[in-house]
Amino acid sequence: MPKIDVIAELAGYKREDFSVCLGCKICGSVCTINDLSVPANPQALLLALFLQKEVAHDDPVLAYCTNCYNCVSACPWRIRIPEIVRAVKGEMGLETPFEKAFKSSIGVWGRVYEPYVFLKSLPFLLREGYLAYVIRWKEYMNFHLPHKVKDMGRRQRKDRKER
Amino acid sequence: MKYAYYPGCSLTGTARRLDKGVRRIFTQLGHELVEIPDWNCCGAFEYGNRKDLVEFSRANLEKSGQLRGTEAGIIAPCPACYKNLREADQERTYPIYHPLELLNPDVTASLSIEKDLKGQVFTPYYGCLLMRPDETAIPDKEVMEGFIERLGGETDGAKVKAKCCGGNQFFINKWATEKLSKIILDGSKGVIVVFCPLCHMALTSFSKNRKIIYFTDLLLYVTGERKTL
Repeated sequence: MPKIDVIAELAGYKREDFSVCLGCKICGSVCTINDLSVPANPQALLLALFLQKEVAHDDPVLAYCTNCYNCVSACPWRIRIPEIVRAVKGEMGLETPFEKAFKSSIGVWGRVYEPYVFLKSLPFLLREGYLAYVIRWKEYMNFHLPHKVKDMGRRQRKDRKER
Repeated sequence: MKYAYYPGCSLTGTARRLDKGVRRIFTQLGHELVEIPDWNCCGAFEYGNRKDLVEFSRANLEKSGQLRGTEAGIIAPCPACYKNLREADQERTYPIYHPLELLNPDVTASLSIEKDLKGQVFTPYYGCLLMRPDETAIPDKEVMEGFIERLGGETDGAKVKAKCCGGNQFFINKWATEKLSKIILDGSKGVIVVFCPLCHMALTSFSKNRKIIYFTDLLLYVTGERKTL
């Protein structure tokens, strides 16, 4: 169960910031997940986090949040729910192999080098039937050599210093 | 005018056509785009730690600082990169533009137009991040409609233009992306005009015969640099 203080900090909040939620559920009413005919209730997720109740791994908001920001625009307090969802997913280890490959590419190259991500997540892509789309992806196929970023900024400099 | 240019990862790979289009159109308008040296990924939506995301984009802002003094601002065509850069620059010290902000009707009126769009139907599709959240949304949310209609084209799809295509879920739950993309495809007519690499991929993957193009393709078509749409 992710700790509310950890989630709040990861998402750039303080725990008490979540207490402003009015429980109006407008976030749920505008949520894109509704278009999937799956009931979504981001407010319930916020409340569960705030009250330190169990959050289900298959909570529809965690599983299907598209980062559309409809909820943020509608929320009277502009609570940035997609960023809270991302923090919870990270803490609960809910990333897919593709998402891991994406981050791994950034770790290796400093950029998303698509051929690397594709190859690294190939077993997942094969298993899940993504190759069926390759015929429509012809225009996306263009090989280029990777660029290795030399300076990733303060974070990298801090990491080096700590090492 | 000179601008610092942040293409972002997609525009060096799957969305290379968008990259070429942006560069060509800005050249046509008499601007120079100078790529930020050694730029890094903005992190897109993949990081649960907001500080990580901000640090990625701050590094890019710092690198663009090497060009400052000569540049009028930073141009970031990918909506996710644009949003992340804008959010990292809380102090608003760097003018950061999405190309759609600069390709407003006053500017595109100066393009040398060779073809009109009469008799053709288009759905200008903005998706999520150009429209939301308010702090980082583009100011003119009908900029593509304005351009298309000025050249005699018909526009459609107003009800779906700001709906989510589910592109972000494509490599997580592709059935969800398929369902959401089909709402866009079924709720619109004609050629779909986008500015987001992820929307382009999602809609292309799930459309049978519809043409999905970048706004830059449309600009290059009417200026005679592209023969077909």
